[in-house]
Amino acid sequence: MKRRLTAHQEQTEINVSPLIDMVFILLIFFIVATSFVNEIGISSTYKDSASPNSSNLEPLTFDLTSTGQILQNGSPIGLEEVAPIVIRTERESSDKVLLRVSPGSRAGLATQVMDQALRGGASTVKLAALSE
Amino acid sequence: MKNIPRRSMDRIDQEINVSPLIDVVFILLIFFIVSATFVSVPGIEVNRPKVQTATSLQRNSILFALSNENQLFHGGQEIQLDEMGTVIENSDKKRDKPVIIQVDQWADASILAKVVAQARKSRSNVSIATRKPS
Repeated sequence: MKRRLTAHQEQTEINVSPLIDMVFILLIFFIVATSFVNEIGISSTYKDSASPNSSNLEPLTFDLTSTGQILQNGSPIGLEEVAPIVIRTERESSDKVLLRVSPGSRAGLATQVMDQALRGGASTVKLAALSE
Repeated sequence: MKNIPRRSMDRIDQEINVSPLIDVVFILLIFFIVSATFVSVPGIEVNRPKVQTATSLQRNSILFALSNENQLFHGGQEIQLDEMGTVIENSDKKRDKPVIIQVDQWADASILAKVVAQARKSRSNVSIATRKPS
């Protein structure tokens, strides 16, 4: 009589341990799968060229040759000179820099020139590809 | 209370009550399901350029990678330059996720310029991933 009573009691309540197991596995899966890609980098948040008042101003232009030279007004300069040139150039839209790259030049150097221009106070650096 | 037999009272006291545990685990589970943003990584490892003014970029972004052989990758496979627009639209239909381009420092800069220009047709926020300034 006593045994039957306990057996009956066990059957009525739902066994939740498999449920908990499954939920834990799902939880661990989602914790692991939530990959937070943490990138650092430079973003040149330039306004669209459609904005009317900025279009008539000539941006400060740097050229990157395929041999890895940085040209400004046709004369070669070093990478460390980019930031001082941007600082020195006093203009209304002094924060606008155009970097023209020729085919064959390295992207690493282009990124470094953009970085130096941003360091010199430019807020917008536009990257343009020169056709051969 | 009087009607409950003494024996069953003991039984109730003895076993641990797991329902609050299940509640908490369910809440955690729902949190992780909702917050799970499956970022599709480009699938190749690139040698990022080293810069000085790098800032932290937004986590939930659309990632592209430009290898040193000037191949463009997204989600583990190579794509063409003119496919970028559709890829961006497919991976992010309504929200304005920014685009991050992981560029190898030996890649062609003119290709990078074309990739950035192409990405900017779809998204206004385009960044170039770099190495941590040391």
